[in-house]
Amino acid sequence: MKSYLALITTDLKLAARLRVVIFFNYLFPLMIFFIFGSVFGARKSVDSIIYVLTMSITLGILGNGFFGAGIRAVQEREMNILRRYKVTPISPAPLLVASMVTGWVIFMPYIILVFILAHTLYHMPWPAHFGQLLFFISLGLITFRSLGLVIASVANNMQEAGILVQLCYFPMLFLSGATVPSEVFPHFVRVISEFIPATYLVNGVREIMMKGQQLPVESIVALVIAAIVGLILSMKLFRWEKEEKIRTSAKLWILAVLLPFLVLGAWEIHKGQDKPPVSTFGR
Amino acid sequence: MRLETNLIVSVWSNTEKELRANSQEPPTLLLDINKAFPLPYTLPMSTSPVISVQALRKSYADLEAVKGIDFEVSAGEVFGILGPNGAGKTTTVEILEGLRPRTGGNAMVLGFDPERQKQQLKDRIGVCLQATNLPAKIRTHEAIDLFGSFYSRSLTSEQLLKRLQLWDKRDSFYETLSGGQKQRLAIALGLVNDPQLLFLDEPTTGLDPQIRLEIHGLIEELKSEKRTVVLTTHYIEEAERLCDRVAIMDEGRIVAMGSPRELQQKSRGQSRIQIVCEQPLNAIQLPQWPEAMDSKLEPDGRSLTVYSNRPARTLFEIMRWLDQQGIQLEDVHLKRPTLEDVFVELTGKKLRD
Repeated sequence: MKSYLALITTDLKLAARLRVVIFFNYLFPLMIFFIFGSVFGARKSVDSIIYVLTMSITLGILGNGFFGAGIRAVQEREMNILRRYKVTPISPAPLLVASMVTGWVIFMPYIILVFILAHTLYHMPWPAHFGQLLFFISLGLITFRSLGLVIASVANNMQEAGILVQLCYFPMLFLSGATVPSEVFPHFVRVISEFIPATYLVNGVREIMMKGQQLPVESIVALVIAAIVGLILSMKLFRWEKEEKIRTSAKLWILAVLLPFLVLGAWEIHKGQDKPPVSTFGR
Repeated sequence: MRLETNLIVSVWSNTEKELRANSQEPPTLLLDINKAFPLPYTLPMSTSPVISVQALRKSYADLEAVKGIDFEVSAGEVFGILGPNGAGKTTTVEILEGLRPRTGGNAMVLGFDPERQKQQLKDRIGVCLQATNLPAKIRTHEAIDLFGSFYSRSLTSEQLLKRLQLWDKRDSFYETLSGGQKQRLAIALGLVNDPQLLFLDEPTTGLDPQIRLEIHGLIEELKSEKRTVVLTTHYIEEAERLCDRVAIMDEGRIVAMGSPRELQQKSRGQSRIQIVCEQPLNAIQLPQWPEAMDSKLEPDGRSLTVYSNRPARTLFEIMRWLDQQGIQLEDVHLKRPTLEDVFVELTGKKLRD
C-alpha cells in the first residue's frame, strides 16, 4: 500500500512541475473554452455555453487520456525510467493505479473551474445533477486513460504510439460531436459516430446537463467495461524495457477496449435511434 | 495465523542470535537492521554460497548469449565479471537479479530461485543497472523515499544521502545532477533496502577518472561492511583493485576464474622491464640477457623494453651489464602481466574491442 501512496504523491509532484501538464490540462482547454465561447456567442444561449463547455471538457479528457497517460508511459519506457523500477519488488499495478489517480486529481480542479467560469461569466445555470456529472466525467477520464495505457502497452516505440494515438484521437475529436456539431453530419458519418467511444462521453455529459436526465446507463456500462478491460490489458501487456518488443498483431488488443462501444453502436443503430443525439448547438 | 507469524519470527530471531554468537566479525551495516527490522531476513551463512550457478544458459532468438557457466560467490566477497561488450556479463547478472528467465541450468541467489521467487529476491538485493534514468523533475530525496516505499524495509533518505555525499543536493532535481552525482544516486537507490547482496553493472562506464576513483572508494566501503558485491566491468584496473575473485567471460563462456593475483600467476604472459638510460644505446651491441624472450629499443635510443619470464633474474643481469658498460640509469619499471594480458592470452582479443 505504501508503494501506491508514494507513487501517487511523487506523480502528483512531478506533474505539478511540468509545464506541459499544466498546459494540456488547464491552459489549452481554457483557451478552447474562451475562444469558442466568444465565437459561438455563448453568453446569449444556454445551449451554446453547454456546447462549448462539453467541447472543452472532452478535449481535456482526450488529451489527458491519450497524451497524459499513453504517450507519457511510452516516454518513461523509452527513457529507461521503467527499467529502474523493474529491479524493485513492485508489479505494474501500483504504477498504473498511480497514473490513473494522478490524472484524475490533476483534471478535476479544471472541471470545477470551468463550471464556475461557465456559470459566472456565461450565465449558465448551475447543473441540477452536478454530483452525477462529476461521476460521469470521472468515469470518462478513467476509460480514456485506460485506452491510452493500452496504446502504450502495444506500441513498440514513440513513433508507433504517436500513430496509434492520432488514429484514435482525431476521429474522437471530430466525429463524436465534441467539436463539429453532429447535426451537420451526413447520415453515414452519424452511423460511424455511434461506434466512437467519445460520442457516448459527449452525449452523456450533454444529456445530464441539458435534460437533467438520470445517468445514461448504457453509456456507463460501456465506459466501465472498457475501463476494466483496458486496465487488465495494460497490466498484462505491460513492458518495463524498450528492448522488449511486442508482436505487431498485439495492436489488435486496442479493439478489445473499443469492443463495448462497437456493441453499443450496433445496438443503437438496431434500435433505430441514430437520429441526432441531443439538440446541442444553440443558434 | 498470528501465532504462526510470531513463531516464525521467534525461530528466526534465535537463528540470528546463534549466527551472531558464532560469528567472529559481525557485519557492520549502515543501520543495525536487526534492531530496526525485527522481521526474518536471510543472513547468508558464511559456509553456504550467496550465489550458486550451474550450467547456466541463455539463448535469444538466434543468439546464445550465455553458454553454460558455473560459479559460486561467497558471503562478503566482491566478485567481478570481466569481459568485453557482448561477452554475456549483463545477461548473466540480469538472470541472477530476476530480470530475465534462463534457458537452462540452475541458479540460486540468497537461497531463492531468481526465476520462480523473483519478488522475494528483489526485495532483498540491491541493483545498480547500466543505462537507467529517473524522471527529470524528481528531487534526490524524493527518489530515495519513493524507491524505499517499494521494499519491505528501507533506510531513510537522510541516511543514504549523507552516506553518498549527496546531502547538499537533497533538494536538487535529477536533471541538474552531474554524471558522478547521478551515479552516486543510482548506488544510493541500490542500497535503499540495506541489502546484503549488491549487483553493480558497469558502475563507472562513461564516467571521468576522478569520479571513477570516487565510486571505487564507495565499493571498497561496501566491501568493508561485509556486503557481497557482484561487479561487472570491462575496466581491468577496477577488477584488479576491487575484486576478491574475477571470472573472465568471453562469448558467453567463463574462460578463467580466480583472484586477480592467481590469474596473473597462471598467465604465460611475460613481465615487461622498461628502462630509460641517460645516453643512447644505439651504437652498442645489446647482449642476450638470461630468460629474456625479446627486447626492443625505442627510436630515441634511450628507452629499452625487455620481455622476460623471470623478470628478477633478467633485471639483475641488465643492471649488471649497464654497470659494466658505465651507462647511467635514469628510470626503471617492472610490469607484471595484467588481467588484460591474461585476457588477450586466453581469447586473442582486447577487452575493449
